[in-house]
Amino acid sequence: MKLNRREFLALTGKTAAGAVIFAACGLPERELIVQSPVDLPEDLVRGEDTWYATSMGDFSNGDGVLIRVVQGRAKRIQGNPDHPITLGKSTARYDAALQILYHPDRIESPQIRYSKSGNLASASWDAAEERFEQALANADGGLTVVTNPIRGSLGLVASKFAAQFNGKHMAFDPVEQGVHHGAVKSVLGHDQLPTYDIGHAHTVLSFGADWLGTWGAPTGFGVKYGEFREQEHRGYFIHAEPRMSLTAAAADLWLAPVPGSEGYLALGIASEIIDEGLASPQNVAAFEAAIPGGLSGISLDDVSARTGVDVDRIKKAAHHFAEATPSVAFGGGSAGAHTNGSFNLGAIYALNILVGAVDTKGGIVSNPGSALDELPASATGASFAAWEEELAQWRAGNVETVIIRGADLVHGMPNSVAVQEALEQVPNVIVFGAIHDDTMDYADLVLPEETFLESWGTEIPEPGPGYQVVGTQQPVVGPTVSYDESGLISDARGFGDVLLAMSDGSYGRNMEGVVRSALSDLHSTGRGSVSASSAALFSNGALQRGGWWDTKESGESTIGRVAASAKSAQYSATDSLGEGSDFHLIPFHSNSLYDGRLASTPWAQQTPDPISSASWSTWAEINSEQADGLGIREGDVLLIRSTSGEIEALAYPHPGVRPGVIGIPIGQGHLNGGRYAEDRGSNVLSILVDEKDSETGALAWAATQVRVQRMGRRVKVPKFEGNVEARPIEPGVPVLVVGIGESAEHAQEENHHEYQKQFIGKDKEAEAHD
Amino acid sequence: MTTAEFGAHNWGMVVDVDKCIGCNACVIACQAENNIPINTQDRVERARTISWIRVERYWEGDFPDAKARFIPIMCQHCENAPCEPVCPVYATYHNAEGLNVQVYNRCVGTRYCANGCPYIVRFFNYWEPVWPESLRNHLNPDVTIRSRGIMEKCSFCVQRIRRTSRTARSEGREIADGEAQTACSSACPTSALNFGNFNDPNSKVSKMKEDKRHYTLLDQFGTDPNVIYLAKIDADKKVGAGEHASHG
Repeated sequence: MKLNRREFLALTGKTAAGAVIFAACGLPERELIVQSPVDLPEDLVRGEDTWYATSMGDFSNGDGVLIRVVQGRAKRIQGNPDHPITLGKSTARYDAALQILYHPDRIESPQIRYSKSGNLASASWDAAEERFEQALANADGGLTVVTNPIRGSLGLVASKFAAQFNGKHMAFDPVEQGVHHGAVKSVLGHDQLPTYDIGHAHTVLSFGADWLGTWGAPTGFGVKYGEFREQEHRGYFIHAEPRMSLTAAAADLWLAPVPGSEGYLALGIASEIIDEGLASPQNVAAFEAAIPGGLSGISLDDVSARTGVDVDRIKKAAHHFAEATPSVAFGGGSAGAHTNGSFNLGAIYALNILVGAVDTKGGIVSNPGSALDELPASATGASFAAWEEELAQWRAGNVETVIIRGADLVHGMPNSVAVQEALEQVPNVIVFGAIHDDTMDYADLVLPEETFLESWGTEIPEPGPGYQVVGTQQPVVGPTVSYDESGLISDARGFGDVLLAMSDGSYGRNMEGVVRSALSDLHSTGRGSVSASSAALFSNGALQRGGWWDTKESGESTIGRVAASAKSAQYSATDSLGEGSDFHLIPFHSNSLYDGRLASTPWAQQTPDPISSASWSTWAEINSEQADGLGIREGDVLLIRSTSGEIEALAYPHPGVRPGVIGIPIGQGHLNGGRYAEDRGSNVLSILVDEKDSETGALAWAATQVRVQRMGRRVKVPKFEGNVEARPIEPGVPVLVVGIGESAEHAQEENHHEYQKQFIGKDKEAEAHD
Repeated sequence: MTTAEFGAHNWGMVVDVDKCIGCNACVIACQAENNIPINTQDRVERARTISWIRVERYWEGDFPDAKARFIPIMCQHCENAPCEPVCPVYATYHNAEGLNVQVYNRCVGTRYCANGCPYIVRFFNYWEPVWPESLRNHLNPDVTIRSRGIMEKCSFCVQRIRRTSRTARSEGREIADGEAQTACSSACPTSALNFGNFNDPNSKVSKMKEDKRHYTLLDQFGTDPNVIYLAKIDADKKVGAGEHASHG
């Protein structure tokens, strides 16, 4: 085609005009995009970082983590991707633990109280060691070493140190798990807590245990939960708990039984499975042999009446559990914290026998014993009954010296045992810690302790992953000077190192030596994840990876029988408590403060609770309809009384709690604990009543009944809910929900039609009115 | 030109709401990674908190059928971001990798961007951020501390992306899928948060966003977010006509 100049100019003009027109018809948002290919200074990174593998010590289940260190300062805590438990993931508590290392109120130096009525005075380590030696001089046969439940090298050293002085090592856990240990021992024959193959299960049935938040190994369980939901046949999750925890909120079916009736609920589910012929005759026989008295006298109507759960819901749970297999059932937490706790948990674990879920894919997974005979692989707090006996010895003056670490007895024990009075009768109370706690008010010697980021150790997670694991803990930072380098933040030493320095040296001179010796012993086994030509290289290899594990060493179950304890729960009395309404108290671990050990850190304090979204305070969760009936509104200050004492908490009504139940988080109410924890909230542990599990003597910490009364004051609950205006997808639809196989587009259309219906209806009403 | 047409990387996130358990691990990881000031009780009570990612909780139904629904919300890094054109000083802009970036030393604190953002994920520093001296030890040297009077928000942990790309460049290779992770996605135990490159058709996030459960928040505003949500599944929800009941 030939174009002359005029035609060319005309065509060019038309093309240009067309381009403008078409551009104008294009998506208008293109005009709004401002892009820059240039990296601005804000985008740049400087300096080199180093990541060290270590274990979390007291702040989790011995989780394996990586610590980011820049110029000698720890900056982040993340899950170790190589570690069999954490698999590179985290909880809300990991980074908060970092703030204990750099806490502005860390104990700087040892402190000595020269007389029981005197004050603590700063002292040198030389003076502190001299005082320590004096305390040990007459302690033979009269020494008690109190720690949190610790495993691995530190547990070994604490036990051996106590034994050297013919004393005892007692573990304290304010929220006892002894019933759980007892139940898995009696039903499954396990010495260590088992784990659960959640990632391969098609149905998970759990009771009482907040396993996605605070119970067991929540990081690892969280990873498995992700896999559980990602399966081709998306897993179905049933959870039974009187109060909606983070875990209950994730469930497809939430059952809210009367507190203490969880065992009956399990038997009701079993009864339906057996009646409907959903289990094999062999499994039924094995199950009935494991239950004292079998299922005689158990009917669904009776179970429904006892548990307060509809028959239809029990049937639904039973059918899912027995038909969508592999299935796994487990329990803990508040389900075991009753006078009949052993029965409850035993009946729950026995459900696995009924569906053949013991030691199978998608079921219960046994954990083997310790890789090294000497290293304890399991630990639990001494029973409450044992503690009552021990405190009686302290009061009687039969104990010369008590050494305490990782256990804030004054905060963690109920008022009824008056632990303060017992401590006053002990001539030498030595307390280790990083930040001043409530027990230190009764200490004769306070010793600043290194955090897990500064000290050596080995950690054996419990529950483990189904095979042997020995995690390593190593100092990732040196002694920390303050930001302006004016001095040490803390002249702390490791608990194990101090004990070893005071020992006869027969089981080690320092914790590094103990750890390297343990790694050398592991090297000599010739197996596991680290292979090296020498013990030194093996040790370095294990430290680099964060530990050693042997996937070939697994455990095995031995089916036993549910411990024969009371089947029905007993609760504390409220007759003498004056005015108010009776509620059943369910204390629960805070998702960020845990049992209060992280209360000193601002990150843990500010983290919103998943259910209430509250922070920095103690609140009380009650059913919203019941609250309406009682005239209780959010923020009302409630006085909560038991026969053991009283506390105040802010009312937070919501629909996710069983009527008659009041849920209060553990973790606040410290007298000390640094600027972020002191005099904040209330300590719910203090008002627990000394009811015990009839089988193990463990504290039945969910068996307290309280009387609740409005104080006549109302304050704003510090919470995140409402801080940001909700922007729903459709009015009334804040989160898009689809059915199985449904597309988001279809669900949105349906929501929209539902929304429009109300207007269509109104139009018709208006027309009719006209 | 959109980011999808522009370069090798179009960073984005896929949030599988069905896996979110509301644990807040992402929230605290973000706080630690990005030097976000402490949300004191006073700030919580005055609704002046700064939280680049938040987990919203909504109630549905009454006891015993009550359900708590969680959804994590962070800057959606919109391709058509309402916050960008309103900034008089170009403190917020869209970079070539799909990030909606905030230039702190340009910001003069007009807060127009926060007014324009329908997701309410921009935060104004009403006070100078303060940490006790010893706690400053854990501050991340890769992230600027924002002073009083300026706006801040989720950056998709741009410092982590830069560090990863620098490592890859020095090793003469491309960034592998999943290698660059934000603090929140790295922390998330259930893998509800997934970060990656939408420009790579084989990346995990590219495949995830093809799921039939995908949607974007406040789609009606046409912001074209780089954060894609996968809807929560309710196994007991009855699916209406036109949909096949099968496992999703």
